[in-house]
Amino acid sequence: MKNEIKKINPVLRYFYVIISMFRTNIRDYGMYIALTIVFLIFAIMTNGLFLGPINFTNLLNQTAYVAVLAVGMTLVIVTRQIDLSVGYLGAFLGAYVVVSVENLHGSIPLALFSALLITVFVGIFKGFFVAKIKVPSFVITLAGMFIFKGFLMLMTNNRTIPTSNEFFNKIGVGYLSTAKIGGLDMITFIMGILIVILIVVSSILKRRKNRKLGIENESKQIYITKTLFVIFVLLFIAFNLASYRGVSYLLLITLVVMLVYFFFTTKTTLGRRIYAVGGNPEAAELSGIKVTTIIIIVFISMGILALISGVMYASYVQNTSPNHGPFWELYAIAATFIGGASASGGIGKIVNSVIGAVVIMSLKNGMALAGFDSNIEPIVLGSVLLMAVVFDIYTRNIRPVDLVGMYYAKRKYAEEYTKAKQNLKEAKQKLASAKKTDEPLIEYEYELTNAKSQYSRIKNKIRSSNEEDYQDMIKV
Amino acid sequence: MSENEKILVMRSITKTFPGVRALDEVDIHVDRGEIHFIVGENGAGKSTLMKVLSGIYSSGSYSGDIVFNGEIKHFSGIKDSVKEGIVIINQELALFPDLTVYENIYVGHEVANKQGVIDWIETKKLAKKYLDIVGLDVNLDSLVRSLGVGKQQLIEIAKALSQDVKLLILDEPTAALNENDSENLLNLLVELKKKGITSIMISHKLREVEAVADSLTILRDGKVITRMDSDEINEHEIIRHMVGRQIDDIFPERPKFKGGKVVFETIHFNAYDRNLNRYIVNDANIKLKEGEVVGLSGLMGAGRTEFAHSVFGNIDEYKISGGIIVNEKHVEFSHPQAAIKHGIAYVSEDRKKDGLILGENIGQNICLSSLKKISKNGILNFFKQSFFAKKYVKDLDIKTPSIYQQLKNLSGGNQQKVQVAKWLFAEPKILILDEPTRGIDVGAKYEIYTIINDLVSKGMSILIISSELPEILGMCDRIYVIAEGLQTAEFDKEEATAEKIMHKATVV
Repeated sequence: MKNEIKKINPVLRYFYVIISMFRTNIRDYGMYIALTIVFLIFAIMTNGLFLGPINFTNLLNQTAYVAVLAVGMTLVIVTRQIDLSVGYLGAFLGAYVVVSVENLHGSIPLALFSALLITVFVGIFKGFFVAKIKVPSFVITLAGMFIFKGFLMLMTNNRTIPTSNEFFNKIGVGYLSTAKIGGLDMITFIMGILIVILIVVSSILKRRKNRKLGIENESKQIYITKTLFVIFVLLFIAFNLASYRGVSYLLLITLVVMLVYFFFTTKTTLGRRIYAVGGNPEAAELSGIKVTTIIIIVFISMGILALISGVMYASYVQNTSPNHGPFWELYAIAATFIGGASASGGIGKIVNSVIGAVVIMSLKNGMALAGFDSNIEPIVLGSVLLMAVVFDIYTRNIRPVDLVGMYYAKRKYAEEYTKAKQNLKEAKQKLASAKKTDEPLIEYEYELTNAKSQYSRIKNKIRSSNEEDYQDMIKV
Repeated sequence: MSENEKILVMRSITKTFPGVRALDEVDIHVDRGEIHFIVGENGAGKSTLMKVLSGIYSSGSYSGDIVFNGEIKHFSGIKDSVKEGIVIINQELALFPDLTVYENIYVGHEVANKQGVIDWIETKKLAKKYLDIVGLDVNLDSLVRSLGVGKQQLIEIAKALSQDVKLLILDEPTAALNENDSENLLNLLVELKKKGITSIMISHKLREVEAVADSLTILRDGKVITRMDSDEINEHEIIRHMVGRQIDDIFPERPKFKGGKVVFETIHFNAYDRNLNRYIVNDANIKLKEGEVVGLSGLMGAGRTEFAHSVFGNIDEYKISGGIIVNEKHVEFSHPQAAIKHGIAYVSEDRKKDGLILGENIGQNICLSSLKKISKNGILNFFKQSFFAKKYVKDLDIKTPSIYQQLKNLSGGNQQKVQVAKWLFAEPKILILDEPTRGIDVGAKYEIYTIINDLVSKGMSILIISSELPEILGMCDRIYVIAEGLQTAEFDKEEATAEKIMHKATVV
């Protein structure tokens, strides 16, 4: 065994650190990888048209209603539940608002407010049955799915009703005011840059504060790599939007919903308790959290987002129709899973689910743009979802890996390792040759068994090494 | 001693479950600022007592008084006891694997303003403070899932401290820990004692007890046997009180084992738990001869069941190394199916969860693991199923109105017989019985023992895993003792005594 090891090359170390972080936290990055691949493929197939300003803006507008549903669905899935009713619930509520305004000439605020009351009531109802009566959410929301489809058909009287009110126009196809200079909308562009500055400054301040309190920060290499990546993405989005018509109301609403829920789930007691309940309900109960109440709240929140989503969709297509609603909830569920939420509960991030929604709508949008047969689209979508779920299962029990530590361990235990490997090989050969003769095999079996156990022990030791373990052995 | 120095007095606590008196007039008291141990065999009532104290069994579901800090308390839930500063840390840790370290400490009592907005900076600061006290140096942002059990245990203690704990209850905290982590934990308890925190600890490891206990109470069969103070504590006395019961003459006679060829053997057999990051079975060398009954003794969590699961097709998906030899052939079982093919059968410890399908009838259950025998081209022959069901009902004397009775309507003893019948139908050479008589009455026990004797007389080899020392001593020709995954002793029937086994099971 060596007592001194040469220090690792800093460039190699940088890559090892980044790869280790990536491999250890692969669950958090799955949907970013998916999105990058999808974007690249369609950008190439459409000669860049896919990522051009016009299509990019359209893509985000198309995604809006799914993204909003996916935000709510994330919390539902985090608490180990499912909600199949939200597609038709959203469509029904959209129809309710449109019909109240267009046919019955009610005021917008009144229509929205009464729709809110309906959806809150529905949420309490669902949550109560799931959390208190313990009806599986799959069944109760499946029933809801049928019921709201019926309500939708009743509400629209089985006819398509176009919207004409200014409100729907603005929400569905309107953009924030622009100030173009040289083809670039300065308002959007400057907003983008301000957000970048805000993110950089706040993260630096947070790191500084952590350091002051003696709390460990993530390593500098990882932080800088991550931040540069985020800046690049944000600037790309800002530039792209600014080159066309700026920010649409659909996008604005989606962003607001996303930010509110991001804040809610990361910074408030209620939000964090949702995750605690999903992660370990018994422990949550023992920690004094009322699991029943939490689940009811999650279903109410889902219902409110279904209302927003339904109104957004009706405004976007400028009508309400009995054909709205199918597959919305399934897109939202798929987005959530592609975004890395775990069906076994406790894991699922708001922003990631929104990205999952973008992945799904990119597939739909990109395949149409690239001229695919539209019948193929569901097959591809399903396959992507399947991959996402398999990925989730495979990475569930991933062990942290430290390649730098392994690098040192490989050097330290080099002799032992080669010896164990050699022994194993020899034992195997001996057994094989003994099998050809009539000798009793038992002694060779013993030997092989021993060699195997030695080998797996040393391998395991190397696999679980950390860089810190080798600090005092490194040759200066 | 005045009442005032006693932080806790529990007076004549009695708690019954249907059919069982788990606690019978238990009296214990704990002085302020001491480390009090509760020791006893498996099933002595230790955990039940702590669940009563912490309010998990709410006031009214037991009789007797809990006097804490001089006042009678009625806890209707764990929240009430926490409010008084009584915090229990169960064997099953109540942590959230996918939340960060600091968040785990404050779940349920978050540092937040009135609107419910959490102050994460303050949370981290406080979390760090408590982690420093318990001496845990981890990245605050790491997920609890990624930490070993030892560290998770410390996080639980940090959580308790953050709730302003006065009386800390630890239910077998070191059962899942390795040597080093255990020692850290014990040192920490001594440190906390200096800070005025009283602890009650349940432990099987008598060396630990000797090292840090200020006093202890020994329970057996739900009753207090004795209380010892620090100067009286010694291992032999404790063991004597723990096991001190006569071995009842409930074991049917069997001719003395005359020896035979080895039919089953494990060599340097290891099972490594990737999640706990330690060997759950460490270097097991177990031999089983034809027609022999071998006992595998050890305390809860020693790795007995894990051993059986690993041998029987690695059900728990540990990382297995080392070899299994059956009939002088090296074998590897990646699935129970393979083990069954080689003539091994495993009657599981938890018959309701792992052994039987309670909603199905006797015939269906008996034939479940050997459906091939009663089917042709994949089509089941129900006449055969009924035929074999009748045969086993008669052979094993299963008491049931009909073979079409659903399993959930049978008594525990008869359920157990069905489970045995199921495996006998598979015609094994080697039968592993995991806690064969748990939760069944004396009469049914005797019948199970008779079945065992009958089987070995026909040349079957049986491995009995049991927590009940009398059973091990009364039934087995040879006994292996394991503790913390390590095989610590091997006794012949003649040399084995309860004291010797307990000694080897508690000392590593």
